[in-house]
Amino acid sequence: MTDLHDSAAAGVHTPAAAPWSIRMRDVNVRYPNGVVALKDVSLNIEAGEMVSVVGLSGSGKSSLIRTINGLVPISSGTLEVGGRHLETARGRELRQLRGEIGMIFQGFNLARRASVLNNVLVGRLAHTPTWRTLLGLYRADDKQIAYEALNSVGILAKAYDRASTLSGGQQQRVAIARALAQQPKLVLADEPVASLDPPTAHGVMRDLRRINQDLGITVLTNLHLLDLARTYGTRLIGLRAGEVVYDGPAATASDAVFETIYGRSIQYEDVLG
Amino acid sequence: MSALAPLVLPPKPRGRWKPWLGLAVVLLITAVTLSPQWGIAFSFDAIVRNWQNGADKVLALLRPDWTFFPRTIPPLVETLQMAVIATFVGAVVSLPLSLWAARLTNPNRYTRGVVKTVLNAVRSIPDLLYASVLVAMVGVGALPGIIALVLFNVGIIVKMVSESIEVNDAGPLEAGRAAGGSQLQINRAIALTDAWPAFVNQTLYVLELNVRASTVLGLVGAGGLGLLIDAVRTFYRYDQLSLIILEILVVVVVIDSVSAAIRRRLV
Repeated sequence: MTDLHDSAAAGVHTPAAAPWSIRMRDVNVRYPNGVVALKDVSLNIEAGEMVSVVGLSGSGKSSLIRTINGLVPISSGTLEVGGRHLETARGRELRQLRGEIGMIFQGFNLARRASVLNNVLVGRLAHTPTWRTLLGLYRADDKQIAYEALNSVGILAKAYDRASTLSGGQQQRVAIARALAQQPKLVLADEPVASLDPPTAHGVMRDLRRINQDLGITVLTNLHLLDLARTYGTRLIGLRAGEVVYDGPAATASDAVFETIYGRSIQYEDVLG
Repeated sequence: MSALAPLVLPPKPRGRWKPWLGLAVVLLITAVTLSPQWGIAFSFDAIVRNWQNGADKVLALLRPDWTFFPRTIPPLVETLQMAVIATFVGAVVSLPLSLWAARLTNPNRYTRGVVKTVLNAVRSIPDLLYASVLVAMVGVGALPGIIALVLFNVGIIVKMVSESIEVNDAGPLEAGRAAGGSQLQINRAIALTDAWPAFVNQTLYVLELNVRASTVLGLVGAGGLGLLIDAVRTFYRYDQLSLIILEILVVVVVIDSVSAAIRRRLV
């Protein structure tokens, strides 16, 4: 894992000029099966913040993250991302917005049979004309962006390998490179380390922190482990049954705070170590 | 945590009798189709009475007429050409249609329904019927055979490949959507690579089917070995027919081993 300084200095990842803020007003999310995932959530997340979203599974934290790039449609309320209304965006406008928002998933979500490079180039889709994608003719500039993104997470050497041949930690770094290749204004990470072993998990969390600190990008991360949330976030948002039950600094959040969020006492499984 | 505490088992899931009901229904349908009143009429004693009538044909089949070989070459080559051309065209047409017919790669229920309905119709018409109608429309020869095979191939490939896409992981496609890709871009950049093994497998399988099917299509004048089979059969030349069958066997075996080798490299 090399650091992100090199590429930032090279001027490739310089979206930090204008990272995005998030404004949620009374957002409700109700799924077609009747489950209410978010209840009257109002949040202001400032540009450049590093936020950990904590809650038990089923608390709505995954829904919260997915509403921010429109993967989950909101039922009522307003959602502004980077000053643009996401809840009314459709078609091309929505794709353009998503193009500015990087996303990292628990299961990495790589095309397993495609090369690492082609997976990272998925991050350029919103900026690529359809005919180029259909013919597989990526611009030289886009390839350069992809190479630099891979370099910044330290796996440029694997660029031509098939994604499925990489280890879990390497696959998650490819996924981070895919998000970086978008040159995002905002990065969302949905349980990014839940499938990884502890040392690899810390490595990926450090990558996310560097994206925030070195590139200045707003980062929102879902976590269910309280020590990771405390260590890597500057702000902590606790969700319980679809409602925000805590919003404050991460470093000083006590065990009592977590007990409020979890609705039970802290247990051995709640920390990664 | 006493070892003596009786185990409290969770309530058994309901509906465990359902597989048994399914088996009973299958057995019932089989029994009905075999019964003399409702099912197809056949009896085993007809075999006992008539088997000797076929014995001389079987004997002739066991003695292939090797001198007939040179005359079989041009139609054999034509059969192979028909099979290869039809497989190629069928595969090219099938690839976008397969992506269009699967829910993961085409979330629009209506366009997906249209593709599926049309393909169900295409698949339900026998290839021999296509060939007969096309022979009437475009004349005797390889062309009606090729068109019939293409329709036959599209029906098979699209069904099998789109069904394999449905069981693929939706996660990578969601990642493409999250990155701002359009459905078409996501299908090309992500879904296609995952669907590729199924597509190659089905295309190779269809090539083998085409070699066999194009022998039958010749019976209605659609070119290939079938025309020759029809001719020798009319003159009861089972020794010559035997040679043709041997040639088809060799071709199918060769295609089988070649496609196995291609599969190892491409998939």
